[in-house]
Amino acid sequence: MILRTLALSALLMGSSAMAQEAVTPEPPMDVKPAQAELGKRLFYDTRLSGDTNLSCASCHHPDKAFSDGEALSQAYTGAAHFRNSPTLANVGFRDAWLHDGKLGTNLNDVTREMITETFLMNMDMRIMQDRLKQDPKYVEMFDAAGYGEPSNGGARNALQAFQKTIQSRNAPVDTGAMSASAQRGQGIFEGKGNCASCHSGVRYTDDQPYNTGVGDNPDIWSDPMRHSAFVTYAKFMGVPNYMNLREDLGAFVRTHQPETRRSFLTPSLRELTYTAPYMHNGTMATLQEVVDFYDAGGGDDPLKDARLKPLGLVPSEKADLLAFLEALSGESFDTDAYVWREDDYDYQLIENWRDVPN
Amino acid sequence: MKRTTLMAAGLAIGFASIATAQERPDTLAALGPPPIPADNPMSPEKIALGEKLFFDPILSGNNAMPCSACHLPENGWAVQDKISFGYPGTTHWRNSQTIINSAYYGKLFWAGSSKSLEGQARSAARGGVAGNGEDDMMEARLAFVPEYREAFREVFGDDWPSIRHAYMAIAAYERTLVQTDTPFDNYMNGDDAALDDQQKRGLELFTGKANCAACHNGAMLTNEAYYNLGVPPYDGWEEDPIAQITFRFELMAKGVTEKMYRSTKDDPGLYFRTKQASDKGKFRVPSLRYTKYTYPYMHNGMLETLRDVVVFYNEGGGENEFSDNKSDMIQPLGLNDDEIDDIVAFIESLSGDEILPAEPEIPEMQPLPLAQN
Repeated sequence: MILRTLALSALLMGSSAMAQEAVTPEPPMDVKPAQAELGKRLFYDTRLSGDTNLSCASCHHPDKAFSDGEALSQAYTGAAHFRNSPTLANVGFRDAWLHDGKLGTNLNDVTREMITETFLMNMDMRIMQDRLKQDPKYVEMFDAAGYGEPSNGGARNALQAFQKTIQSRNAPVDTGAMSASAQRGQGIFEGKGNCASCHSGVRYTDDQPYNTGVGDNPDIWSDPMRHSAFVTYAKFMGVPNYMNLREDLGAFVRTHQPETRRSFLTPSLRELTYTAPYMHNGTMATLQEVVDFYDAGGGDDPLKDARLKPLGLVPSEKADLLAFLEALSGESFDTDAYVWREDDYDYQLIENWRDVPN
Repeated sequence: MKRTTLMAAGLAIGFASIATAQERPDTLAALGPPPIPADNPMSPEKIALGEKLFFDPILSGNNAMPCSACHLPENGWAVQDKISFGYPGTTHWRNSQTIINSAYYGKLFWAGSSKSLEGQARSAARGGVAGNGEDDMMEARLAFVPEYREAFREVFGDDWPSIRHAYMAIAAYERTLVQTDTPFDNYMNGDDAALDDQQKRGLELFTGKANCAACHNGAMLTNEAYYNLGVPPYDGWEEDPIAQITFRFELMAKGVTEKMYRSTKDDPGLYFRTKQASDKGKFRVPSLRYTKYTYPYMHNGMLETLRDVVVFYNEGGGENEFSDNKSDMIQPLGLNDDEIDDIVAFIESLSGDEILPAEPEIPEMQPLPLAQN
């Protein structure tokens, strides 16, 4: 009897309990399992988008460490995105979000932006709230999560809780199971390569924007769907001369400081083996290309960060560095703990509609 | 109104030679040209632009829901279903109204929430269960269509197409979608033969015994006032979970108290604008023009045919949860079957031929060349 109870509670604890058993870069975040479980169901629910075509998982695939494998992400029906979909691994630990760092507050704001932005999920949250109320499973899960009846705020909180459970697990760099080559690569990463100058800390990022001279992605400007989404964003952010821009100005859109043009947040290097292609605009297909890019001292940009210099790495050093980078990736997120497997997204008619409160 | 009356009188003089002594009801009138607001004058180029935009899905959230998605020319420029389609993933909650002759209304939408066609176009393009578009995004898209860049520059002097001007062009186009040559109009303008005997009897009843003209008067056959007739609630709210979602959303979005949100089971109509309890369940008297093609009827499409509508009135209207506000003018009429048929025949004379123009070719978004300006 006691054993059965234990087994049951382990099941109920869900993802956070499992995460505790794995080696993680940082202690797991404090998350209530019932809230994370609700967030997990919401994450895979297309009814969180205006026309019910997209869920969070449409651009954040669990088998790709919650990125989407595209250079430039898809976006809402009739639109297309102008940036690469980032991994959500360790997303709860970030200090800033979006490639330009536009959001520096909290995951609640990030979640709301993704759901409501016209070229992302284009959802009027008032409609979303009443959609959730029409699904008995949500009515039950919101209650179990302590949120009362389904609501926008509760949904965002639950999505935050789920995102906080998405943490790297059992990466060789954390378990100590790195190859000799990877260990040599770590030396280069911290030394000759100077990568750790920005890719610092256990997430291998300082969450700060820099200009590294990554080249333009011409697919933004050749596709009116992408370009018009970019114009919408630039206009909303008050970027001067937005109609004639043919470059992504990165952090400038929020700072409006000329020296920040084309600077983008240092990305985490965690789960890299799942998240190709690379850079804010997906212009590098492989990690090898990225290593070569930095070895050459980055790209060509007058505002490029002064620390970027040719590194003079020999092929064996590059191979070692690559081995280290690969050792920063842990186990796949394509597991039951992170994926809502059931196709149980249904509305239910309220039969005695006249007799019950709305 | 005055202008229309004068015009009708002028035309009547023109027809004097063929006019007989038959009297025309003074509570009704032929329809003249629509009023054109001084701040949005008409031009052929503006109308042509508005026509394209009316049929172009670019003015919606998913680039797939033009105005014409819920105002289909072949559906009487409305939707021949109780409730309008609504944005994908949703359903609407009211009956789609015809565009034909919408130019004459003082206010638009069933509860008069829009003061102009321009405002109506904007609200419909943006509404969560309609176009679900966002102005910045729709405006950005327009700039990617070479034909629109040129047309907005020519018509409005825009460096880049302005979304506000898009709504103005659509309104201008809609002001051309009028019908002033119905049998009724021809009759009022002096052609005695334009109505048959049954329709003339119907007209007599319409303005007399049935008292329809108490509200359905003037050239548009509406006084544009708001009444509760006791139209029964939309039955989809009992049958369709997505309709239940939209209904609650509208209650919340249009701003009701928590208590009302929980307890209301029917569309409060005019209340949403005035927040006066006495306005619950009131809707604007619709024009009866072009109704031959705009079935089903009432704000929620709950009456299927014109005959059903006349029978509804003959029985003194109906009951809904706001019946305390039901108009005293709605009383049993005591019409017999023949009289009902006569009135229906008259109402049909308020519709001319179906207006089915060839739809315009819709220009496409193209990559934007640098330095357009």
